[in-house]
Amino acid sequence: MRELVELAAAREALDPSRVIRALAETFARWRAPQSHERARLAREHGVYSAPVVERGVRLALAGWTEESLRALRERELSEPCWVPPVTAVWLAGSIPTAALSALALPLLAGSAVYAKPASADPVSPRLFAQSLSETDPAVGAALLAGTDAKALDDADAVVAHGSDSTIATLRARVGAARPFVGYGHKLSVAALGPAIEPLVAARRLALDVGLWDGRGCLSPAWALVVDSPRGRAAELARSLASAFEELEDELPRGSLDPAEASDLVELRARAAVREGTRLEMAAGASTWTVALEASEVRPPPGTFRFLSIVPVPDVESLGAFLAPLGPHLSCVGHAGFGAERGRLAELCAAAGASRLCPLGRMQLPPLDWNHDGQPPLRGLVRWLDVESD
Amino acid sequence: MTRAEIEREVLGLIAGGVSAPPDDRRFETLALPLLRLQVEQGAAYRKLCAAFGRDPRAVRSWREIPAVPTGAFKEARFAIFPPEATVRTFRSSGTTADLRGALELDDLSLYDASLEETFRTFVVGDAPRRRFLVLAPSSADAPDSSLSYMFSRAVERMGTGDSEFLVGARGWDPERAIETLAAARESVVLAGTAFAFVHLLDQLEARGEKLALPEGTRVMETGGFKGRSRELTRDELHAQIAEKLGVPRTRIVNQYGMCELASQFYESTLRDGVPSDVKQIPPWVRVRIVNPVTQADVPHGERGIILVHDLANVGSVAALLTADVGQLADGGFRVFGRARGAEARGCSLAADALLGAVTRGAR
Repeated sequence: MRELVELAAAREALDPSRVIRALAETFARWRAPQSHERARLAREHGVYSAPVVERGVRLALAGWTEESLRALRERELSEPCWVPPVTAVWLAGSIPTAALSALALPLLAGSAVYAKPASADPVSPRLFAQSLSETDPAVGAALLAGTDAKALDDADAVVAHGSDSTIATLRARVGAARPFVGYGHKLSVAALGPAIEPLVAARRLALDVGLWDGRGCLSPAWALVVDSPRGRAAELARSLASAFEELEDELPRGSLDPAEASDLVELRARAAVREGTRLEMAAGASTWTVALEASEVRPPPGTFRFLSIVPVPDVESLGAFLAPLGPHLSCVGHAGFGAERGRLAELCAAAGASRLCPLGRMQLPPLDWNHDGQPPLRGLVRWLDVESD
Repeated sequence: MTRAEIEREVLGLIAGGVSAPPDDRRFETLALPLLRLQVEQGAAYRKLCAAFGRDPRAVRSWREIPAVPTGAFKEARFAIFPPEATVRTFRSSGTTADLRGALELDDLSLYDASLEETFRTFVVGDAPRRRFLVLAPSSADAPDSSLSYMFSRAVERMGTGDSEFLVGARGWDPERAIETLAAARESVVLAGTAFAFVHLLDQLEARGEKLALPEGTRVMETGGFKGRSRELTRDELHAQIAEKLGVPRTRIVNQYGMCELASQFYESTLRDGVPSDVKQIPPWVRVRIVNPVTQADVPHGERGIILVHDLANVGSVAALLTADVGQLADGGFRVFGRARGAEARGCSLAADALLGAVTRGAR
């Protein structure tokens, strides 16, 4: 592909420091108080309300600085390695910050990027490429958005996001000779221990759900609450309903298409008739739903600001709930575990989680997090171990 | 009206035939008493109405009747009779290993009447009996499948003695099925699930063969794919059936139905001899295309979620909100398949994709 040849040539002209500076400056522009890039994304994105995009991007990019980019590169790529000249990045989903990090990381590693935008978010890659070019045209020339699937065959490496079946198909297509990094579908869970302060925990939980409307793989699909003292889960459910209602003024949910609305209606109807479940819903609207479950049930995972509160008797039961989620578990957002946090971490790790973070920060992974347990840069490169004589 | 009186009236409507002009007044006079009956005797329906703030007593028109999302059948029993009176239970095939919805019936007379009237009109036509070859298991082999029940009932009432089910309880033998089809010398009704047709077409492709089924053969496919074969659009499937089985598009019909519904919908292709993708609505059923949250009609011609009001569903809930996207069209409606919202525009895992297995394990 001619585009890949041009990308490889553009990459030849770059050195790591220049790329780091350009990325850092671009992120700084995106998180600036009156960022016109962020405002434009908020206007054009279409899936989320403008305040959600504004807040979500600003908060997520807070730590994406020149220092953190430099530290990440030094940590991951300090030894001799081969960096693919051009990486094809296949994006999925609608979350802008996920797209930004997916594009930035191969650039940080020293690769040029051919990016296929997700159908649900064609805007973020385009705007990011544009602002990177404005920051430093030479670095911007190493990032191109396009839709030619031939890039999967011609690029030196492939990073793909999508459903598990999509990842399997792409992995087979790329073969074993070239680096392939795949990110399949994941889900996350909020875990609340006996030491929570319900009002504070509810506000943080509402933010974790509200940013990206519960659509993301880092959005909590359930909130597991250690119901001690008894009634704590019910108290949290009430507080969460209030927090959602307040959040709706500040960070309104985006609109749903008919298919999405159908999913939400089914979630609500199932909860409404499920034995032992108590339902709290936005009055006259579908904007938020809290389902307080009877203990020992595993309701369908929530989305679109629908969240089931599942009471569990203790931290061990919480681990039992997580265990079957296996390789699909991504992040656990926690609060209120005190001395039991170590045990919670053991259970999360055993269940397959790759991130344990404080409640309220689930949507704000640092740039250097091991996304789905994979190192941010190292998976993309080929290593050379140089042994001494 | 009592349940028996309502059933008698609905049977009368069905007996009037599919082509009878829709009578909204008569429909209303049955729909409202049926709602009262189903709310009075159905605890789950009452609970759902209460949760959504819908007061059935305030309903003045069938269009205002609260519809139950079909997914709710996975969680609760909507039958209005005691469990011991159940004579038949149909379960949804389960698009994944998720919980399966169930429709319980204590009386099959309405179910059968609706099934036979529409099947005869839209598939079998004038001949009293035709030879059926069925790409699905019989009801004896799949007792909780509403599709198998439908095929078995159709064979029993409209099939000749040499009709055959080409799929057994343990699957099918493609060699035998192809031999049976190839040996047919007179027209047949070839009916089955869409994914079974795909398997048949794939077998023929692998063998590099095509069949030329006898002139006059009728094909009916239904049921979607549900992960059991590669997926084809309706047009692709019909085109391949035409090409590989030698049946013209004017003799291929798609049926739309679901286990929670007593009545089914067919395209008019076989009845009218003109290919059509519009599903016909029998006089005892109404179909609306709605915003699923408000259950308000979307503007005519726009896509929305299909809401079915089936008077033959006396024993459970008459008004059902499907999870399928549709669009009203002249004389009926088009179906665009199952809504797939969460998966399409988020990166979180849709409920349908993974958690089925987890849920099943936990229960």
